[in-house]
Amino acid sequence: MATLYSPPDFWRSYPILISAQYSGAQITMVPSLPDFKGEDSQETDHLSKFPFRKVPAFEENGFQIQEATAIANYVAGDVLRGAGPQDQALVQQWVNLAEGEIIPSMTTWVYPIMGVAAYSDKACEKAKEVLLGVLSVLNQHLLPRTFLVGDTVTLADISVACALLLLFTQVMEPSMRQLYLNVTRWFCTCVHQPQFRTVLGDVILCKTASPGKLDGKPASTEIIKNQQQEVRSLSEVEVQQVEVHKQQEGVQQVEQQEQQVEQQQEEQQEQQQEQQQEQQQEDGLDPTEEAVAAEPKAKDPFASLPKSTFVLDEFKRTYSNEDTLTVALPYLWKKLDREGWSLWYSEYKYPSELGQVFMSCNLITGMFQRLDRLRKHAFASIALLGTDGDSSISGVWLLRGQQLAFELCEDWQADYESYSWRKLDPESEETCTLVREYLSWQGDFKHVGKSFNQAKIFK
Amino acid sequence: MALRELSSLEKSLGLKKPKKYSTQGDNKVPVLQNNNGPSLTGLVTIATHLVQEANRSELLGSSAEQRALVQQWLEYRVTKLDNCPKEDIKTIFKDLNLYLEDKVYLAGNNFTLADTLMYYGIHHIMVDLAVQEKEKWANVTRWFDHVQHYPGVRHHLPPVVVLRNRFYPSGHH
Repeated sequence: MATLYSPPDFWRSYPILISAQYSGAQITMVPSLPDFKGEDSQETDHLSKFPFRKVPAFEENGFQIQEATAIANYVAGDVLRGAGPQDQALVQQWVNLAEGEIIPSMTTWVYPIMGVAAYSDKACEKAKEVLLGVLSVLNQHLLPRTFLVGDTVTLADISVACALLLLFTQVMEPSMRQLYLNVTRWFCTCVHQPQFRTVLGDVILCKTASPGKLDGKPASTEIIKNQQQEVRSLSEVEVQQVEVHKQQEGVQQVEQQEQQVEQQQEEQQEQQQEQQQEQQQEDGLDPTEEAVAAEPKAKDPFASLPKSTFVLDEFKRTYSNEDTLTVALPYLWKKLDREGWSLWYSEYKYPSELGQVFMSCNLITGMFQRLDRLRKHAFASIALLGTDGDSSISGVWLLRGQQLAFELCEDWQADYESYSWRKLDPESEETCTLVREYLSWQGDFKHVGKSFNQAKIFK
Repeated sequence: MALRELSSLEKSLGLKKPKKYSTQGDNKVPVLQNNNGPSLTGLVTIATHLVQEANRSELLGSSAEQRALVQQWLEYRVTKLDNCPKEDIKTIFKDLNLYLEDKVYLAGNNFTLADTLMYYGIHHIMVDLAVQEKEKWANVTRWFDHVQHYPGVRHHLPPVVVLRNRFYPSGHH
């Protein structure tokens, strides 16, 4: 029986799990290492099965492997390793590129944007240069080819696609994807393969460039300081939550295992402290939580509701493609099934803590990511009102059922406690105004008293 | 030509018992003779029928949108590509090349009957293309090369050589 020690939904483990989907290898996931005694403890190292003390780690009938690529290679069947010595060497070449070039630069570039690592001007510039270079090479390579090596998916595609995953979901907005069309085509094809989908779910490509996103560059050193503070407070919030969730989970893990992100020393110390806390937190999972984490997929929390006449996807399409005021809103009010769906108003409870606008935007997009699996059952427009240092976050939600959907599934509760929630009466004048203002991104927003800055759509 | 295509399709679908076909009219429209039912006329009709008989309906698309796209390309094959006058070939390649810029398969994210029949239909043109032209229509060429390497598809057609390292400098398209 094969065991993979890895937190659920940790992106470093994706290549292993996808390879297993192709080869048919059966793997049980266990969220933390068996003999982990905390970051400080050196005593168990020489006795430990996994002296590197890194996840993911792998064990099968007493045989242990560490390092994600080695495990993926072991788990992958012969087909994924490439046919013949030449293709095998080429597969190795791309896997090494993913590990040695793409991942370190990708994390340096993307983590600050996600608000989970400090920003360093120099490091980020360098990382971008490396990555854009790699993307150009890939783009050339993929013009005449469907997959990286040979005519089918190999470990090369799995490694490189997973290494670029955060880049495509966090940074590469549509205009940037235009520059790397061949890479984008290849990436989309990969993540749509059933074996990828089983592990990754729906991969949503980055929609818009938010400030600081394309170049990840705050305007002054003062902002960097703010950002670092923000990073810390974000992490603290996370530590308080027993809940561990997708993207950030992976991110924290990687910081534990590779501290390649160049940071100021002070910042590093702070982070190490946090990491210890997090690790302890993680080791503290009780058996039930472990069992829950090991379960492959949660059941649909909405399964018990009667079928609704309102087709959310159709509404989303209408909203995206048609004029909001003249088409999408009338469509909503005409088709909305008031029994099967409910409207909610949400407001961020701690507006005084909001600093820079782009950090607040990251807060919103981060929440959307953590709610990924709710997308089929919810639509929302969340607006940032006001300006730097004097802003608030509020929005309207369309949720399946009459209950606040977040209460149905633990995975969705990460952010909702930071918001106040009010159910809206779909027939009232006030609701009509709120929905119009938040969906059309215009109006007085009198209830808040701040002017519209920008908004994000959860769809 | 359509008859050889259909028998290749039968093989790639794993249908064991060869079917009986005849042709109709000047355009040699294929007709499938069914022992215990009405005969079926037309390439797309017969090909769709074969896919269903082989229980491979995913090749016709697995969502409403993908099914529509498959049908669109099957129609394109018989109405636009077949019997296309020589001077229109360039337009067809131009359109296809643009369409395939961001796609690996013609319909959706996986291989469908649309890829098979478009491959069969375009093969006689690809055979005659010069290396330079293949490079010009890089997206069509890549798609074509992928389909001809797709397990079980090629059968009656000779492989078309595609170079994956560029001979001519890019930038002329």
